[in-house]
Amino acid sequence: MESMIFDMAERLFRDHVSHGLREDAAAGQCPEALWTRIEEAGLHMALVPEEAGGFGVPAAEALGLVRIAGAHGLPLPLAETLIANAVLARAGLALSGGRLTIAEGEVLQLERRGGAVHARGHLTLVPFARWADRIVTIAALDGADHVLSLPVKDLTVTPAQDLAGMPRDDVAVDLDLPGANAAALPGSMGGMRGLGALVRSLATAGAMETILKMSVEYANDRVQFGRPIGKFQAIQQYLATMAGETAASRTAAEMAADSYDTAAFALTVAAAKSRAGEAAETVGALAHQVHGAIGYTQEHALHHFTKRIWSWRDEFGTELDWTQELGRAALSSPHDTFWHFITDSTAQGATA
Amino acid sequence: MTLTAFPSPPPGADYDDLRQEVRAFLAEELADFPPEKRAESWNGFSRDFSRKLAQRGWVGMTFPKEYGGHARSALERYVVSEELLAAGAPVISHWIADRQSGPLILAKGTEDQKRAIVPRIAAGELCFCIGMSEPDSGSDLAATRTVATEVEGGFRVNGTKVWTTYAHVADYMILFCRTGKSDDRHGGMSQFLIDLKATENIQISPIIDLGGEHHFNQVVFDNTFLPSDALLGEQGEGWSQVMSELAFERSGPERFLSSFALIEELIRLLRKDATEAQQAEIGRLSAHLMVLRQMSRSVAGMLNEGKNPALQAAIVKDLGALYEQDIPRLARSLLSRPAVPGGRDSYAAVLAYTELAVPSFSLRGGTREILRGIIARGLGLR
Repeated sequence: MESMIFDMAERLFRDHVSHGLREDAAAGQCPEALWTRIEEAGLHMALVPEEAGGFGVPAAEALGLVRIAGAHGLPLPLAETLIANAVLARAGLALSGGRLTIAEGEVLQLERRGGAVHARGHLTLVPFARWADRIVTIAALDGADHVLSLPVKDLTVTPAQDLAGMPRDDVAVDLDLPGANAAALPGSMGGMRGLGALVRSLATAGAMETILKMSVEYANDRVQFGRPIGKFQAIQQYLATMAGETAASRTAAEMAADSYDTAAFALTVAAAKSRAGEAAETVGALAHQVHGAIGYTQEHALHHFTKRIWSWRDEFGTELDWTQELGRAALSSPHDTFWHFITDSTAQGATA
Repeated sequence: MTLTAFPSPPPGADYDDLRQEVRAFLAEELADFPPEKRAESWNGFSRDFSRKLAQRGWVGMTFPKEYGGHARSALERYVVSEELLAAGAPVISHWIADRQSGPLILAKGTEDQKRAIVPRIAAGELCFCIGMSEPDSGSDLAATRTVATEVEGGFRVNGTKVWTTYAHVADYMILFCRTGKSDDRHGGMSQFLIDLKATENIQISPIIDLGGEHHFNQVVFDNTFLPSDALLGEQGEGWSQVMSELAFERSGPERFLSSFALIEELIRLLRKDATEAQQAEIGRLSAHLMVLRQMSRSVAGMLNEGKNPALQAAIVKDLGALYEQDIPRLARSLLSRPAVPGGRDSYAAVLAYTELAVPSFSLRGGTREILRGIIARGLGLR
């Protein structure tokens, strides 16, 4: 199953996500036809359990699609839709189809009004909001996490974008949600910040793998002083450093994906998002150094990937947010030693 | 791009029961072992400790039972290794033998060599050293000049090895040297298993490091006679034999836990009241540790499946050395508390020891530059 869905996604993205398509998307044009193909392939449902209409792929494998999408610079909310559908399914809400996105809902004020839930507030930097049918968010109501499914047509969306030109919109929320669009979230998925951080970590790892591959190819092809620049030790050291950072980011993201929906997730996702964000700095800088001036142009594809990894650092918690959270946990842990904290709280079957 | 893929360790790799047994053992054995001794990390030497560890079945864990081993997985061995390192246990007496010499003998040795040596390694009785570097052959291992010439009944060895860690106490050396001429730069090399206590004409003299410690030695072979059965593996195959040891040598938790005693001291002091900036730095240190550990466990999983993840091991070692070398800087950025060699304050003493130890971390076991060259070639640079 893993290789089937991976192969399908890989082929779909390879055939249809071109430099031109990324350029058009950055100029504001939603690649509708590609989304239709993604839905036809069923990729958007991969993280939904079988009993809720998914096809029973283990979560860590379904999440692998996000890394592949990142590797191709897919300018569509596939990661967001995967998470949104999984959260809706867990809360027992209807899966409506279409493009969905996610937002951290803690800023919303919720109150019960008759049989409905009234939500009011202002969401910022919502990924792809203007291309989405619904924004799925998690917020506290009566002291418990609740999932809200907000129809975009009933919201006020003001366009804004990230460094890569992808929609990151301002959204004003002021509406009544019927019971069909608001329900408690059982289990241990946590808030939307962690889930968003997970998919951004995975996408960053995938984009870095592409950046690394482009850099190696360029170093093999570009000739200066009579030889490919990859023959110079300085360039080799850069590429090796990029490989280390990329490998660490991918390992970190996959470690978090492995602990999706378990107690260990809170710490593994903190490690994943902060590690990937830190690596984005090094990998982006060295990729541009290897590529020289041509890599700094609009014409060259490199910028679509470097700008994405730089943008993703700022979403769903920055390095500072996540390292503080992790540090607080380490320094206040009841474990005898720091070592016991690290091993015990990240073990499979960890309870706290 | 498989080089950046580190498959997750298999489910159940935590081996929690085993981990708790090791912790209980260490709590008892090291009850009075002070932080400044723990700071020596895997350079700490105690034959007594290694023997006791072996009695628990925690040396030679992956070796077959018929050679005194315990037929356990590389991941179980990993749990024991990381617990020993995190506690700063004195392990060097058995470490090299357990990590690479034992596996090498099992893979390439004759039946007689296996029967004579491996059970004694698993009993924690034998300390091994590695005769690799020379005065004119450091990173450039192929420039090795020490030569073993075939004579009646064996070989005569001439040459000088340097930086040979713990040669002054070791029972055996695995020597890497020339045995013949070859057009191939990597050809004509062989490995020998040398009983240091029973071989004449080997002169071992100390090289004191900048911290005043005696770990290194110079080892001079002066027409030293080795019997034929000292040859380890195939004559002329030394280069490929050495290369197959590297994944074992470079990927373990000792490649990022060497400064761990300082981390524990630092966190002990910050626990009471840390600023947000201090919390963030400890969080970053935690994140890097969690990720390195996962990468290293991944390599253990690959080794367990009989793969040769030499490139992934090079990545672990490169990232790991950066991490363990950065700990004194980090500590100094969070606490204004001077380093004092041998000081009564354990933080000050551990900081001093660690500051003087860290320059070696990106030299030993393959320099940073060599590792990165290996990684770059693995990426497909032509």
